[in-house]
Amino acid sequence: MLNNKLILAVVSLLLLQSAIVFAGFVAPYDPALQNRDLPFVPPTRIHFVDARGHWHLRPFIYQWVPLPQSVYEYQESGQREYPIYFLVRSNESTNAGVRTQFHLFGVEAPAQIFLAGSDNYGRDQFSRILFGGRISLGAGLLATGISLLLGLLLGAVSGFHGKWVDEPVMRLAELFLVLPWLYLLLAVRAFLPLHIGPAQTFFLLVAVIGTIGWARPARLIRGIVLSAKSRNYVLASRGFGASNGYILRRHILPHTYGVLLTQAALLIPQYVIAEVTLSFFGLGLSEPMPSWGNLLANLQQYSVLVSYWWMFAPALALILVSLGYFTVANAIQERLQSASA
Amino acid sequence: MRIEQAVKRAIKPALVRVSGLSKQYVQRGAFSRRKFVIHAVRDVDLEIQPQCLTALMGESGSGKSTLARCLAMLERPDKGEIWFEGAEISRGRGKELASLRPKIQMVFQDSAGTLNPRFSAAEIISEPLEIQRRCGGDKLRKRACELMEEVGLSPDWADRRPLEFSGGQRQRLAIARAIALQPAFLILDESLSKLDLITQAQILQLLSDLQTSHDLTYLLICHDLTLVKRVADFVMVMQNGEIVEQGTRQEVLNSPQHVHTRHLLSSVRDLESTFGDFQQGAGS
Amino acid sequence: MKYLERRMVHGALLLVSVSVLCFLFTDLAPGNFFDEMKLNPQISSDTVASLRSQYGLDRPLPVRYGRWVHSVMKGEWGYSFAYNSPVRGLILLRAPNTLLLTGCATLIAWLIAVPLGVWTASRAGGWPDRVCMSGTSFFIAVPEMVIVFGLLYFSIRTHALPAGGMFSRGFEQFGFAEKMIDLAKHLIIPVLTLVLASLPILVRHVRASMIEVLNAPFMAAARGHGISRSRVLFGYALPAGANPLISLFGLSLAGLLSGSLLVEVITGWPGLGPLLLEASVSRDLYVVIGVVMSSTVFMIMGNLLADALLVAVDPRMRTE
Repeated sequence: MLNNKLILAVVSLLLLQSAIVFAGFVAPYDPALQNRDLPFVPPTRIHFVDARGHWHLRPFIYQWVPLPQSVYEYQESGQREYPIYFLVRSNESTNAGVRTQFHLFGVEAPAQIFLAGSDNYGRDQFSRILFGGRISLGAGLLATGISLLLGLLLGAVSGFHGKWVDEPVMRLAELFLVLPWLYLLLAVRAFLPLHIGPAQTFFLLVAVIGTIGWARPARLIRGIVLSAKSRNYVLASRGFGASNGYILRRHILPHTYGVLLTQAALLIPQYVIAEVTLSFFGLGLSEPMPSWGNLLANLQQYSVLVSYWWMFAPALALILVSLGYFTVANAIQERLQSASA
Repeated sequence: MRIEQAVKRAIKPALVRVSGLSKQYVQRGAFSRRKFVIHAVRDVDLEIQPQCLTALMGESGSGKSTLARCLAMLERPDKGEIWFEGAEISRGRGKELASLRPKIQMVFQDSAGTLNPRFSAAEIISEPLEIQRRCGGDKLRKRACELMEEVGLSPDWADRRPLEFSGGQRQRLAIARAIALQPAFLILDESLSKLDLITQAQILQLLSDLQTSHDLTYLLICHDLTLVKRVADFVMVMQNGEIVEQGTRQEVLNSPQHVHTRHLLSSVRDLESTFGDFQQGAGS
Repeated sequence: MKYLERRMVHGALLLVSVSVLCFLFTDLAPGNFFDEMKLNPQISSDTVASLRSQYGLDRPLPVRYGRWVHSVMKGEWGYSFAYNSPVRGLILLRAPNTLLLTGCATLIAWLIAVPLGVWTASRAGGWPDRVCMSGTSFFIAVPEMVIVFGLLYFSIRTHALPAGGMFSRGFEQFGFAEKMIDLAKHLIIPVLTLVLASLPILVRHVRASMIEVLNAPFMAAARGHGISRSRVLFGYALPAGANPLISLFGLSLAGLLSGSLLVEVITGWPGLGPLLLEASVSRDLYVVIGVVMSSTVFMIMGNLLADALLVAVDPRMRTE
């Protein structure tokens, strides 16, 4: 059960998410920092051996220099080696409330290290991906929380109190489930104010994505509550004079933890993709705030898609998140099945 | 023992008195519009004497469990009244009844089902105390361990889950839980039915000891005549929701008035004689 | 029979509720098509006001809903502000394109998933099964967006396939065979994307269902009777495990009109997806409602069909 795949998944997720939380520290540059001289540079190559054949202990890079008489083509300038330093002092950033001037790695100015290349404004993609992760992953996590909370509340009330509450709630759930999810998301988002600030957009996205997805968790929770409610030990508890609140808390709710956990692991990647899709269509975060969605939107221009392969990098992060959470969800499900068997 | 009780009976009034109790269930077919009305309990009158063991016998579906649940305040009857220690308990609001609940407790048949598999033994036993807020924290656990000892379970097992206990031990757990609130009236709904004979005997011994030490009154619901013969002071027979016979053990078993009772008794006698021959045959 | 009738009534009620909800929502939404117009300084506010009343937007909600229902009954589904033409025409123009895409993809996906799922289930634990499980585990996690960009990348790089759209230039002049080939070439990337996105889940479900069935006692009996392996698999096991698959098939059908939005937008396929996107952004009210309702109809019909199939196929369903 605790197999290699699971460990790999958990570790990668933890690493990625920590990097995102501490994006200001891990990223060498501010995501809005432009360098109009170096648009669409490919990822910087890291060397250990220099042009003269000498081996360096500390890895280093060469500066990208635009080729004369051509657009967006570069070569490495072999003139000076710029070693990569760790724990570099640079611009200040705030990470999870901690202000620091340090960055995990960096090189001396005027060289820049573009681990994932740059975009048409010369902004470091690596930094943008990390900061974009705050938006995309953050939206996914928060929206999942909202869906699960709503689903838990409505499902528990529906399953526990039966008929008068159950019928309308389940009909409403059916309504939400019968509408095509992406269509619903699109329509709802589009019909809400479009031209609002980034913070408001973020919370609006979270609210929309989270609220639309309450139905499936609610149904699952309702099923669990219904079956738990009819158990004999609940009847026995009533015989001792237990109140509804006590029964819910002590006997019924513990049954829901498994489902909640599995749903969380399944919904997080879905909701991250939802945010990415919305931002991709221009209905979410827009320039200059980075989100994996609007980063990937660059690929819609075929010239970018074909010539600048490093612009695919946000997709890698997306795949990692999806794979990671999906593996975790599988493991949880297996664990639950073997526990109840 | 019996003489003392008979004397007590003459002096004390009935602990529980039921008059005109009725309860019915309505069941709807899954997809049809037809309704089935099940008259589980019809116009039942009975009395339960204190500090005695009353046995309630009847076939499956005769309404014994429904009657028991009404007595235990787990269901509300449609008609009729139940008097417990002079107070009417079938009508009335939750708050008024709350003070009476601890006095009437029930031990169910299916011990595994009535014990939450995720709770530990100590948590199960102390649950009534917790709900009724009799004590808290460490005292809860202490009390649970005391009760475990009283029913013959080792307190070292306080943290085990119910499924780690055997069937007989689970019934002991259920009994410990039932006496936690120090009830006066204990209803045992087929609690001995799923146990093997040796375990049955042990539990019966426990129940007998508890009756003396806690001044308990028992209502034992079962369909095992040999069991009834051994332990009951009073016997009631139910058929189709009605009580067709009630009286002392002598009266009912030796001179049954109702056809159904006679039918019940005779079928068991047939079995006994058959097996009696069989045993004799095997012995010789 | 009663069961199906009830499901149909249920579906109809659902449709009505959805339409009411749509109207309610679009009414609550701040801003409308003409607000955007107001931002244009060249159009006077009087013109905007008169346009609004012309389209009946200044009437109260129940009146608007009533008029919409009335016109739907007559076969008109409202009017698009942006395209200045009836919604019905727009939808009928685009829907077949979407259906062509999703229809092909669904067909191909199921044609691959069922045999593959049955085969890997029959050899559960063997290397084809393990490869299949790893493959599906991976592909389930890859988002559709990534798949489509990946495919586009390779096709553009190799100049193998047209890079999107539905028709090449000069399509009208092609002969019939050429038209078919051209269409097929344009279909490959979007269809492949949809197939790759849905195949892993389908295969897993078929496989899971089959494994459950294959472990049942009656299977051992069938094999003991000497029936050939493939006949056992497809003649006995598959029908027995068909129930969840039929429901799944119903779900596939239900999503025919709505599952391809992303792919259509990215590859420029002229289906309902891009239409909805544009309409949503520009607040083209009746287009949005028309598209959402159309796909909801498909959803409900898909579920109904699944229910009907279940009743027809599984004798246990008929005896309630």
